[in-house]
Amino acid sequence: MIQHFDPSQHDKAFSKDLGTPPPAADAAPVSVEIDGVAITVPEGTSVLRAAALADINIPKLCATDSLEAFGSCRLCAVQVEGKRGTPAACTTPVAEGMKVTTQNERLARLRRNVMELYISDHPLDCLTCPANGDCELQDMAGAVGLREVRYGFTGENHLEAEKDHSNPYFSFDPSKCIVCSRCVRACEEVQGTFALTIDGRGFDSKVAAGQDEAFMGSECVSCGACVQACPTSTLMEKSVIDSGQPEHSVITTCAYCGVGCSFEAQMKGDKLIRMVPYKGGDANHGHSCVKGRFAFGYATHKDRITTPMIRDAIDQPWRPVDWDEAITFAAKRLRAIQSEHGRESIGGITSSRCTNEETYLVQKLIRAAFGNNNTDTCARVCHSPTGYGLKTTLGESAGTQTFDSVMQADTIIVIGANPTDAHPVFGSLMRKRLRQGASLIVADPRRIDLLKTPHLEDAQHLPLRPGTNVALINALAHVVIAEGLEDQDFIASRCDTEAYRAWRDFIAEERHSPEASEAVTGVAADAVRRAARTYATAGNGAIYYGLGVTEHSQGSTMVMGIANLALATGNIGREGVGVNPLRGQNNVQGSCDMGSFPHELPGYQHVADVTARGRFEAAWGVELDDEPGLRIPNMFDAAIEGSFKALYVQGEDIAQSDPNTQHVEAALSALDCLIVQDIFLNETAKYAHVLLPGSSFLEKDGTFTNAERRINRVRKVMPPLAGKADWEVTVDLARALGYPMEYTHPSEIMDEIATLTPSFAGVSYQKLDERGSLQWPCNAEHPIGTPTMHEVDFPIGRGRFAITEYVATEERSNRRFPLLLTTGRILSQYNVGAQTRRTDNQVWHDEDVLEVHPSDAEVRGIKDGDWLGITSRAGQTVLRARLSERMQPGVVYTTFHHPGSGANVITTDSSDWATNCPEYKVTAVQVEKVSRPSEWQRRFDEVDRAQREHLATAREAAS
Amino acid sequence: MSHDQGQTLVNMVNQIAANLSGGRETADTVEGVCSHLEKFWARAMKQRIVACLDEPDCGLEPLARQAVARLAERRGAPAA
Ligand code: SF4
Ligand code: SF4
Ligand code: SF4
Ligand code: FES
Repeated sequence: MIQHFDPSQHDKAFSKDLGTPPPAADAAPVSVEIDGVAITVPEGTSVLRAAALADINIPKLCATDSLEAFGSCRLCAVQVEGKRGTPAACTTPVAEGMKVTTQNERLARLRRNVMELYISDHPLDCLTCPANGDCELQDMAGAVGLREVRYGFTGENHLEAEKDHSNPYFSFDPSKCIVCSRCVRACEEVQGTFALTIDGRGFDSKVAAGQDEAFMGSECVSCGACVQACPTSTLMEKSVIDSGQPEHSVITTCAYCGVGCSFEAQMKGDKLIRMVPYKGGDANHGHSCVKGRFAFGYATHKDRITTPMIRDAIDQPWRPVDWDEAITFAAKRLRAIQSEHGRESIGGITSSRCTNEETYLVQKLIRAAFGNNNTDTCARVCHSPTGYGLKTTLGESAGTQTFDSVMQADTIIVIGANPTDAHPVFGSLMRKRLRQGASLIVADPRRIDLLKTPHLEDAQHLPLRPGTNVALINALAHVVIAEGLEDQDFIASRCDTEAYRAWRDFIAEERHSPEASEAVTGVAADAVRRAARTYATAGNGAIYYGLGVTEHSQGSTMVMGIANLALATGNIGREGVGVNPLRGQNNVQGSCDMGSFPHELPGYQHVADVTARGRFEAAWGVELDDEPGLRIPNMFDAAIEGSFKALYVQGEDIAQSDPNTQHVEAALSALDCLIVQDIFLNETAKYAHVLLPGSSFLEKDGTFTNAERRINRVRKVMPPLAGKADWEVTVDLARALGYPMEYTHPSEIMDEIATLTPSFAGVSYQKLDERGSLQWPCNAEHPIGTPTMHEVDFPIGRGRFAITEYVATEERSNRRFPLLLTTGRILSQYNVGAQTRRTDNQVWHDEDVLEVHPSDAEVRGIKDGDWLGITSRAGQTVLRARLSERMQPGVVYTTFHHPGSGANVITTDSSDWATNCPEYKVTAVQVEKVSRPSEWQRRFDEVDRAQREHLATAREAAS
Repeated sequence: MSHDQGQTLVNMVNQIAANLSGGRETADTVEGVCSHLEKFWARAMKQRIVACLDEPDCGLEPLARQAVARLAERRGAPAA
């Protein structure tokens, strides 16, 4: 395989610490002279930063360009002509005509004195210190020419201070702390958690986590921002302590959530030492969360599948074979099944974790080599309603903004999303904006952590009953109309008049008033009115939503309701506003864009569209089916019925992530050939006949597309463990099926995508390398991409209001199932947990529990920690109880990160009317105390044990 | 839970019809449901739901039934 050399991946502007953050980009230019060098910078730039831009490097310790200047160390003292004293360069902004001197004898003496004081209370074990080679204190001692320390080390000092190793990923060694407070400020300004403080004053001052406790005991969420900000080895990654400083690095993209953070993967040979969020990353600007920064150990975990395996039946042990044999076996079976049961009897599932290129290839394989449109993706179970709802109203299946746009928002509505846990880096950015004074409205059954943001000014919580989203959004829209808060100009100039009139008549009906819907939603009418006014009159109103919107029987309706509200108030088409789905997995956006859905070719082009289909037919050299194929739940139904016989699943764990587990298991067991390509033996693989080793994001080249339509490069840092990247496996399978695909590098796949997908026409690896990232649409009209959508018009011309009738879900609580179960996720674990469970992130969450309101617990005699049987009409499982008041009475809550918990055994096959996205967020259940695991769990344990033994046997045979 | 595929499909069309009926003319609902099926349903599912028209008590609600009948017409199959 060709290795493309990437000269441009390290942008110099981002590899240097300029000392203080940049001022507003549109600030007026100011010219100054520093050490005789003339330089022009935007107003508001610090002298320190201006000098650094001219490559004049003033010594500094407490300043770093990710944080506001603090001015405490005095090392950056300079002299300014006509001014007395020696001001700190980091806190002194440039002024027109200013003349600055950064080096002279007086300044040198002053700096040496400062350093001397620091060093007199600092251990001198530099040679064996983990920060050796990456220590700013050491560098500064060198820079100022420190030669002697007159105070000696015998006085009172902190050299014996106790270390804190409680966090699994980093250590805290206070003896090395210089109390620069960069960590404290990083935790406040960048992360927004406020877990650290400087305790005490003067000599006694020290850094403390929480109430002076261990990091693990504090509110710390282990984002690592403090570790990155620390100039010394006080806060240090354990991986660096163990392995030493990395020697080279590669810029790549996180493979966990839809924020799509850019990272520098810092390497030693082909060993990944640490992930450092990349300052030049357009989505994250140098910040990250615990998953992306620390939880990469799964990539080299011993459970990784490293050889292909096959078997004739799922109760047999695996047989390790070489790639050729496995691929031939799979291809033969697929063709045999098709000749017996017909062309439509097989299908495949693309992954929202794999790259765009890989997803594109899998759907191409299905459409061109399988000869049908039975392709779907796990986005089906999370954001398919977003696609439907936004395409219907705004004309494009994607969010409208950049993440940075939130910094211009005046009112932020968050519906059914939990950004601080599920999209942490964006959650931090949102918190920053909230601290600056933006208003917050949260519509969620749970009291999410965002409502606990420190220094939050104005927050409204609309604690609606699960399943009543549409009634609530209609009530909000009703207030906008009834109180005349709509943006008439926007509606007149940008929206379809007839659709608007029909919608207006509909929404103005009294039955949509907050007073009328209060009984349904449980939210007080005046709270709804207040929220609607806040949003409609805010200036910039932005809506962010997550799976709490989509995973409902009316998910699509709700998405349209959100779009209606934004259109009616003119909150579309500029910075600071918009409709923003927060995507779950890293490449949910990309997998949808790449034509994973059975009715759409890449770029959301319908299979029945003759022109679009014709382009693909010409390029792919085959005739394509013009009818949509089966969606995942339809595939399952057809499998159970016997008309669907084989499935190729790349990088998804449908047996754990899809609802109504027992139904899924029945469907998978009914298949004659299940081909699973994954990095681990996941739950689905237990039903497989062919197991193909997948590769992690560290082992391949490609692109991911994040929730802001941003295409980011994924770069290979180590060779694939089993020898092949996922796209190569698909290519092999296609060849074995008699449909050769000729690619030597993923860049060629992207080139093909660009020729067939109008919104990607301008995308290429070369341009991505030049620009860092691109937001689609990227084409002749928008050669460098489109940060904000719908600025001038909509892809469908005018915005279309949609009628959004509230239809109550059939999943209602009743006498038998009196409680409503809703599901969600937490920060440290990711989706089905296959990766994060294989890292130290386990210390935060090693089991799924059921959160129960104390009043529901009391009537059932439930105490914290009791085993609870949870029963729905689909099945039963057992989880441990945790009493919590985050939900209202009548609602229980759990996560689904651990397979044995069987959270999806109880979720039903109730689904969104338009897209069949399952209704994870509402299941009627009963809860009672029990003494042992459910029958499903006992069976699960048996199957689990048997399949693990099959794997172990195979491993022995292979070794 | 029932997993007769025909029954599942009937429930799905009824659900689509329920969501596309409020605030609309009957004709729009029928057209909306029919084109939804055309656009999003697989061939086998369409054939199956059309076949349901022959069973008088298959459980299709009136508007859903009209939409399926229209689908049958457009696909050239005789409407029941
Ligand atoms: S790891 Fe993050 S949350 Fe924890 S103390 Fe450091 S900055 Fe704060
Ligand atoms: S721990 Fe590091 S960043 Fe924090 S005050 Fe000490 S030296 Fe500065
Ligand atoms: S999991 Fe999400 S927020 Fe965390 S580092 Fe990865 S992309 Fe960023
Ligand atoms: S770097 Fe300016 S005062 Fe510390």
